[in-house]
Amino acid sequence: MAIGRQRAKEHVAGSPNGNITSQSEQGAQAAQSKQTGPDTTMLPTNPRTGEPLAPRAQPGYYPGFSTLRQQAFWDEATRNVVLERVQHTPPIRFFSPEEAQLMESVCARILPQDDRDEAHIIPIVCRIDERLYAGRIDGYRYEDMPPDGEAHRLGLRAIEAIAQHLYGVAFVELGPGEQERVLATIHDGEPPAAEDIWQRMSVSRYWMLLVQDCIEAYYSHPYAWDEIGFGGPAYPRGYVRLENGLPESWEVNERRYEWRAPSWAISGEYQPMGGGDTAATPGQEGTH
Amino acid sequence: MMKKPVLGRMGSGLRTPKPHEHMLGPIQKISQPMRRFDPGEEVDYVIVGVGAAGGVLLQRLARAGFRVVGFDAGPFWDTERDWVSDEAGSYNLYWNDLRVTGGSDPLAFGANNSGKGVGGGTVHWAGFTPRFHPSDFRVYSEDGVGADWPISYEDVKPYYELMEREIPVSGPAYYPWGDPHGYPYGPHPLGGVGDALVKGCTKLGIGVVAGGPVAITAGSHGDRPHCIYRGFCIQGCKVGAKQSTLISHVPDAIRHGAEIRDRCMVSRILLGSDGLVTGVRYFDANGQEHEQRAKVVLVCGYSIETPRLLLNSACSGFEQGLANSSGLVGKFLMAQAGNVVLGRFADLVRMYKAPPAHALTEEFYETDPKRDFARGFAIQTVGPLPIAFAKQMMTAKGAWGWGLRQVMMDYNHWAAFGFLGEILPWEDNRVELADETDQYGLRVAKITFSLHDNDKKLVAFGVNKTMEVMRAAGAEEVVQEPRYAHLIGGARMGNDPRSSVVDSFGRTHDIPNLILCDGSIFPTQGSANPGLTIQALAARTADYLISEGEAVRSRHTQTIIRPPIRYHLSPASTAGRGVPRLRSLRPRPTIGAGGLAPGSKG
Amino acid sequence: MAVKALIPAVEDLSETLLDARLRWKRLAERKARMVESGGLARDIERDVQIVEEYIREGRFQRSLSLIAGISALLGGLEVTYEHYQGSYSQRIMYSPLVASAGVAVAACWGVFDRRVARTALPIASLVLLGDGVTGFIFHIRGVARKPGGWSLPVTNVTMGPPLFAPLLLGTGGFLGLIASLLRREDDPLPSGLPGLWEAATAWFDKPPDEFSAHRRSGSAQAEWSRIRRRIREGRFQRILAGATAVSALLNGMEALYSHYKNNYRYRVQWLPILLSPVIAAAGLGAIWNRTIAETLLPATSLAAAISGLVGLYYHLRGTLRRPGGLKLPVYNIIYGPPAFAPLLYSSTGFLGLLASLLRRGD
Repeated sequence: MAIGRQRAKEHVAGSPNGNITSQSEQGAQAAQSKQTGPDTTMLPTNPRTGEPLAPRAQPGYYPGFSTLRQQAFWDEATRNVVLERVQHTPPIRFFSPEEAQLMESVCARILPQDDRDEAHIIPIVCRIDERLYAGRIDGYRYEDMPPDGEAHRLGLRAIEAIAQHLYGVAFVELGPGEQERVLATIHDGEPPAAEDIWQRMSVSRYWMLLVQDCIEAYYSHPYAWDEIGFGGPAYPRGYVRLENGLPESWEVNERRYEWRAPSWAISGEYQPMGGGDTAATPGQEGTH
Repeated sequence: MMKKPVLGRMGSGLRTPKPHEHMLGPIQKISQPMRRFDPGEEVDYVIVGVGAAGGVLLQRLARAGFRVVGFDAGPFWDTERDWVSDEAGSYNLYWNDLRVTGGSDPLAFGANNSGKGVGGGTVHWAGFTPRFHPSDFRVYSEDGVGADWPISYEDVKPYYELMEREIPVSGPAYYPWGDPHGYPYGPHPLGGVGDALVKGCTKLGIGVVAGGPVAITAGSHGDRPHCIYRGFCIQGCKVGAKQSTLISHVPDAIRHGAEIRDRCMVSRILLGSDGLVTGVRYFDANGQEHEQRAKVVLVCGYSIETPRLLLNSACSGFEQGLANSSGLVGKFLMAQAGNVVLGRFADLVRMYKAPPAHALTEEFYETDPKRDFARGFAIQTVGPLPIAFAKQMMTAKGAWGWGLRQVMMDYNHWAAFGFLGEILPWEDNRVELADETDQYGLRVAKITFSLHDNDKKLVAFGVNKTMEVMRAAGAEEVVQEPRYAHLIGGARMGNDPRSSVVDSFGRTHDIPNLILCDGSIFPTQGSANPGLTIQALAARTADYLISEGEAVRSRHTQTIIRPPIRYHLSPASTAGRGVPRLRSLRPRPTIGAGGLAPGSKG
Repeated sequence: MAVKALIPAVEDLSETLLDARLRWKRLAERKARMVESGGLARDIERDVQIVEEYIREGRFQRSLSLIAGISALLGGLEVTYEHYQGSYSQRIMYSPLVASAGVAVAACWGVFDRRVARTALPIASLVLLGDGVTGFIFHIRGVARKPGGWSLPVTNVTMGPPLFAPLLLGTGGFLGLIASLLRREDDPLPSGLPGLWEAATAWFDKPPDEFSAHRRSGSAQAEWSRIRRRIREGRFQRILAGATAVSALLNGMEALYSHYKNNYRYRVQWLPILLSPVIAAAGLGAIWNRTIAETLLPATSLAAAISGLVGLYYHLRGTLRRPGGLKLPVYNIIYGPPAFAPLLYSSTGFLGLLASLLRRGD
């Protein structure tokens, strides 16, 4: 936790000096190369060679594993729900175009997909937008939080304010490393700006709301299941091999490869949320 | 290339249900039309909330020949059409209406602990069904904390045995903790997480049981198939292997003439001039408001909605909420500490296979004078699916961005244990009404929850112990996520009307024909999952109500202490199944003719 | 010994009235004479010769009773915990326990008591055989009633009720039935007993020509008579070879889908799966070909018997190595590798060996 706090302070302290410029350049470079081809600085690397790993249709250690290919074994209701998710991208109706654009860059850092090829990007923002537009909530609201939609709007404003405070540039204009540093201040529970917004909502609860919404969009997608080797829907066919991590006949065995987050990514290392007071941020998902 | 089933037609290989068939699993169905009472007709019983307790009561009372109507705010599920084998797609199973949560340790609701729809929370519970220990019923006498129950373990024991047959509960032939006993259905095979728990416990010399006790069929049960070990228990069991009252008791209730009005939100309980409740007012699926008159009203809405309905039903004579002369409606709310301990193994685990609930230890259940806190905890298996696991990685490791992607790629290397710790009843942990209203214009619940000293010590010790077990199992990295599971309390039972809301049968001290029956009436919660005890107490209350009959409307003094157990009211599928089992190793206490005298401290 | 078959029926009757102890005594005396006449090696050699001769002539009711009894006992123990996995959720799941216990008791008793071997044993065996067939039908239904039913054969046969296990249990009944028709080791004569069975088998000891008359009549009863006679004379190699083939196939299928659960993690798990078709081929071949019956059948059967013992070792080891090991004995026996399954595989081997020693119908 101490490292996390220190890290946030370093960014804040470091804001006026020169190393930021280089990162801005890096960002501009990234923005530029997006038009011409894959930007190698965005990619995870092979830790042995330092070489960037080319984007692939299916990152992860289960090459050739496809849950969607098993869809004939799913029950009809489940198949409909999952295929709808894969085939249909809802329009943006809750966020304004500006908010949506900002949200896109935020979500691209919360769950980066630069290692995925263009055809296999999992849409995230439109899922969050759909939920907020429909007013779907998880059954409760924290006393110290505004309703979810408002919280997301306030959060985006705060992110923008932090970006301006640290770098004097809009969040969407920043390079990926700087964007991560902006978000890390919220993750660490010490945002250096937008005090008025943090008066109205808890920093750590906003962070959990944001990350959980991204998680729900990403890890509900069959592409993500293939990536992590999860079996996907399992009715009426259940599982035969329960122990020792054995694969079913239609699953594949793990084939690991080494990879490391891009060098600019501070999210590649793990720091506790909110400066380490985990008791203050209990999990919200049902397990038992 | 699309893979196809080897034989049969393209598709799931499931029989396509006919339009009039209400499917409750791949085979079980309700084909006959449900009885409908006339709108103006006064029925014998109205049950608010057809969940764990409501489902059992509905079935018992209908089978005994009473006219019963059950209300549920959610749908009467058709499991083949409505449920999916998908994490995100199971959103509708939960009580997702607004609640406001606060306090220093605010509780999460929705998917975490609240169900909506016929079957209630049993639709998405993991199905762990341990009994409470005898000591749970006298926590105050033994440890000087919490409260005593007005009944003892021996009062509930026959109902435990009965419900374990009706559910049916699968588990070991010998369960060593509390009142040692065996289970009517055999144990389940272990998955990777269960193997880890058994390995870890065995290495540390901690007793552990494998394969149960869980409310999941190990063997077919009438039209309910054997479990297929697909791991989607808490997303609603489409297989019909994991029990919910929807599939175990509701079909029998419908066959015996019960009516269920689904998507009907009861807004208020109506009080007559004679001090008896006369029925309920409710919103139907179209938002129209109606009234249903009844001789007796049973409220089975669980720890948040039951107090909320009583508070929202405040009227002249009960300005602070119906049946709330004690001022305790909504007070002494409890949740169990449900931290998730996660361990990464070098070998693959694939924890999405097998039911999340399938092995546990209650070795630390009881108070240990060597520790600096009262009461104890259990360690159980859990099996988070990808979304839940990713959220756990967010809290437990602080993962996001590339780190989140990277740790998620190791999903199949992780195993998860659920810590389950007893949190004591405190008056300041409570349900009140917020100023905000829901879609019906009803004030929503505001919940305040904070841990106290004993709770914090217990959680700290227990989580450390659980992490130790995970390490002993061979995990290289162990992290934990704080969390709360299950709801209990909010309308506690007792003998003294000044310090409790209901008597031991759930009958409110204030209003003779208003009965509460669900987890809200528990004075304490132990560190056992409450689902079995809720259903057992519901069966006991049903026996009591059937014994009392009409008299329940007039009698204020409790004359029936131990109603006869009506074994013949079990659902049709109960008889002739399962194995002979160990009943008890404890000497049988002598039960006097009258049992406990009224008013005596139990 | 074949000479003895010609001794008149009167003597036969008097023989049957002799006390069992007396017969043992005679046998012992004969053995003693043999010991006198040679060294230990020779003694063993003669014993082997006697056993072979007995088998060839169908005089091994006691031995086969014992094998049937043990096989029913193993099968019964296996089904006890296999059905516990299914929680005895239907009362009929207790029936194989009762039926196999019946054969186990009748067969073991039959080792000492001729009357039981001739009366109770065949009845108990028929019950077990019937129960096996009933179980097979129920297991087919059980797979059909699993989610997805027969559209998901691989999953549902593997995870559902084991399809062929009831038939495998039924082979215990089959052995018992054969045993009940054999002559006893100490039978000096083709003999019958007074009483029920005697009445029913009066035809049994009729001279061949009379029997042939029956045969010419072509009735089903006559056909049955022929079979029984052959069995009694040890001329049923084909039947037993066929039974070996069926038993090997069933065992192989069981091994295939129970080892499939484990993804064939250990290469040795393929052993019973690969061996079974070979034994089955040998068994089937032995029906048509004497040479196969005398060469390939005993060789593969011996391999099966040994591989069953190897399996027993690995299964016991696997049970001990499970998480919790002996601290969760009941659980690990239920869900560990089944200890008795490899022994059933061995018993198939013995069946094949037995078959190879018999005479053929012609």
